[in-house]
Formats: sequence, C-alpha cells, structure tokens
Amino acid sequence: MLPVISRFSAILPIILYLVFLKRNNKGGLWVIFIYSIISFVTDSAYTRLTAKIPYFYIYSVFSIIEYTLFALFLYRSLQQKNFKRVVLLGSLLFYIIAVSNIFQNRKTDSFDSPSASLEAILIIVYSIFYLFEQVKDPSIFYIYYLKKFWIILAFLVYLSSTLFLFLYATTFEKPEETTYWIINNIFDIIKNLLILVSFTMRDRKQQYSPENLYNDM
Amino acid sequence: MILLEVTSPASSVSLVLFFGTIGMLALTIGLIVFIIFHQRKVIRYQLRLQRMEQDQQKLLLNASIRLQEEERQRIAADLHDDAGPLLATARLYLNENLVNLDKTTQLQSIYNAKQIIDDTIQLIRNISHSLMPPTLKNFGLESAVNDLFQKISGSGSMNASSRFHDYRERLQAENELIIFRVIQELVNNILKHSNASFIHLTQNTSGNKFFIRLHHDGRGITQNDFNKLNKSNVGLGLKNIQSRLKVLHGKIFFEKDMSQTYYKVTIELAKEEEDKLQEQE
Repeated sequence: MLPVISRFSAILPIILYLVFLKRNNKGGLWVIFIYSIISFVTDSAYTRLTAKIPYFYIYSVFSIIEYTLFALFLYRSLQQKNFKRVVLLGSLLFYIIAVSNIFQNRKTDSFDSPSASLEAILIIVYSIFYLFEQVKDPSIFYIYYLKKFWIILAFLVYLSSTLFLFLYATTFEKPEETTYWIINNIFDIIKNLLILVSFTMRDRKQQYSPENLYNDM
Repeated sequence: MILLEVTSPASSVSLVLFFGTIGMLALTIGLIVFIIFHQRKVIRYQLRLQRMEQDQQKLLLNASIRLQEEERQRIAADLHDDAGPLLATARLYLNENLVNLDKTTQLQSIYNAKQIIDDTIQLIRNISHSLMPPTLKNFGLESAVNDLFQKISGSGSMNASSRFHDYRERLQAENELIIFRVIQELVNNILKHSNASFIHLTQNTSGNKFFIRLHHDGRGITQNDFNKLNKSNVGLGLKNIQSRLKVLHGKIFFEKDMSQTYYKVTIELAKEEEDKLQEQE
C-alpha cells in the first residue's frame, strides 16, 4: 500500500504546478516540476523497466538525473560565488564517482549505494549553504514565506532520512530490503507533500512591510 | 517493528540504520527550527532598533518644531514690543503736526518722528540679520564666524577666536547656513552654561572629511551626556543641532581634551555628501 501511495504522491506536485502555473513560473521551480515528472514516470514504469534492464542501472541513472536536477536548482538559487564553485566541484566529484560506479559493472548489486549516498551528502551540504545565505539576507523577513524554502526542506528531510538507508542498501537481503524500503516510501511521500506546499503557496518575499511583521510576532 | 523483524546477524546494521535515520532527521529538524527561531530573534531586534530610531526621529522633529515656534514667537515679540510702539509713537508725532500749526513745534515733531523711524529701520534690520546674517550670505561661513566671534570678544565677557585652515571654496549656501546655525547654537550653549573664559574654533579638512572643532575651558558635556540629553525631553538646543546635522549627514562628538582641561566639540561632515547635494541641485 505504502509504495503505491508513494508512487502516486509524485503526481500531486505535477498537477498543482500546472494549476498554479503563474505563481510557479519563476525562481527555477520548473526544475522541480521536471524532477516530479521523471520521478513519477520512473516509479510507474519501474516494473516494466526492471524486466529489461537490471535494477542497478535504473537506480544509477535515476540518481544521476535526480542529483543533476537538485544541484541545478540549488546552483540557480545560491548567490555567493564561492558556494556556486563548491556546487560545481561537488558535481564533478559526483559524476566521476557515479559514472565509474556504473562502469565497474557490479551487476550483483541491486542499488547504487556510493552515488546515492554521495548525492544525499552533497545536496544536504548545498541546502545548508542556501539556508545560510537566506538567514544572512536582511531583505527576507521570514524564510518560510519563500517557495524555495519548502523545496529545500523537502530535499533535506528526504535525503537526510534516507542517507543511512542508501549507505547500507547493498548489504540488505531481498526481504530486508523490502522491509527497510518503507523508510524511503514514507519520506518520499513527505518530500512530495513539501514540494506540494511550495507549489501551492505564494512567494511573499516582496509583500512584507515592517508594519505587517508585528502581526506575526 | 522494523527492529523486531530483523534477524540477529543484521541487527547491528538495523540499529545503525534506525539511529542514523532518526539522528539525521533530528539534526535536520533541529537545523530548520534553529534557523527559524534565529531569524525571528534577528527580526525582533531589528524592529526594536527601528522603533528606537523612530522615537528618536520624533523627538528631533518635536524639538525642531518647538524651536521654530520659539523663533516665531521671538520675532513676533520683537515686532510687537519694539517696532509696534516705535511706529505708534512716530504716528503720534506726525498726528501732532495736523493739530499744532506752530512751525517750530511741527519741525520738532517731524524730526522726532524721523528719529523714531530710523530706530525702527535699525530694529527691523537687526531682526532680519538675526534671521539671515548678511556676512554669511555675502562672504561665507569663515567671515560670518569671524564676525560672530569678534562680537563676542568685543563684549569683553569672553575671548573668542577662530581660524579656518582650509576653506578656499565655499560650501553650498544652505549648508553654510546650517553649519553656522550649529556653531551659533554651540556658542550660545557655551556662553550660557559653561562659564568659559575662551572659545577657539578651528576648521580643517582631512581626506574627504570637513572638520570644525570648538575648544573652551568651561564646563562642558561629553558624548555620553549628549546621547542621554538627546533621548530625553530636555536639551532642545542639542536636538536642534542633531536634526540640523542629520540634513548634512554630519556627525558631532563631544569630548574632554586629552589634558582634561578643555572641552572639545567636533563637527564632522563628509565632503562627498556636500558634492552630492550640489550635483542634485
């Protein structure tokens, strides 16, 4: 039941992005929209795909696409050049490890543990950079009024919760994998819900005058 | 539940997985909560600062309005109490001419009326000069300050001197007036409260800063006193100085000299500000 909910939870952000297209049509949210589509399509076609291609390659390619989209979104959102440079260097490192991992041809592995774990660590680091920048920006009154904040929160919650799962994924036997994969399903749903919040809300960065702030205190 | 299902060889993995996931999640939530609370704290602090600044602005505005009203009252009093009776007396003399046809008496009363009208002209000139000193308008800040200090010295109550080291180009007329008013206010305060035996004013520039320094040997105030008086309801003159300098984005510092013998007041203005104001005009 949970895998089914997890799979279909990805469709909600897609629908709401299109419903509120006008308010979502800025700030690089289209990257997350594309990610949601790819995530939904991959999950839906998973059974058919695994009949032809080994699990390992599907996971590896998906990890690379997922990392690329998340990193692109964060790269566009970051302001400081040093942070952007770190993203570029981190991406280079990630692609080297992810590609070499594919070419090592470990068909016995069902999951691309090294690249998925590295992806989680790098995206968490970039997300912290983003939050640090936002906290330092005096023009932002409340961080949770930003659409991007909810996207970053989705990344952080999902990737930090699944980091250990991805690290140990290759050591699991099939029944263990099914049991532990519940963690991935739960946090996948939470991630999609957080993306949903972002696509639904208005970006209120410009609307807040100091007078209005007293209402929130 | 997950832990219970796990067989014993894999239990260490499941423990690491369980605590690792919980730990990471807790760290993430902790980070987010910290950021949100930190931001709220910073915003509260900024708002407090903003409120304080607004209160200060209000005090300055009130002070300048009160000063303006006092100035108007003074001019009104000068006109009503001095010019009014003088003109009324002149009118009486002239009226007498209509009643009294004796030539000698008529000439005498015309002469008296003329004297009174001359006095009135002088009085009005004085009022006008107090509003806008002609020396300042025609010859600039240096001459106006020298003139003011000569008058003070001439009164014999205090020795006042001034020296402008680097004043080849005049500032904008409005800015000269503002600086002159600030100097006037400071000198008035020194005359009224300090019991000083001398005042010495120096002007110089350093880089793109324009400095005016006033020294005196009487009782003075320090920066702390100035800040306290600025926040209180008293010290109208000081608030007036502050609001005038705000127009020029200038600063004022009150301190005791290194020798602890003299009090020093420094007015600091950015020359760039002056240039910018000139460009805007």
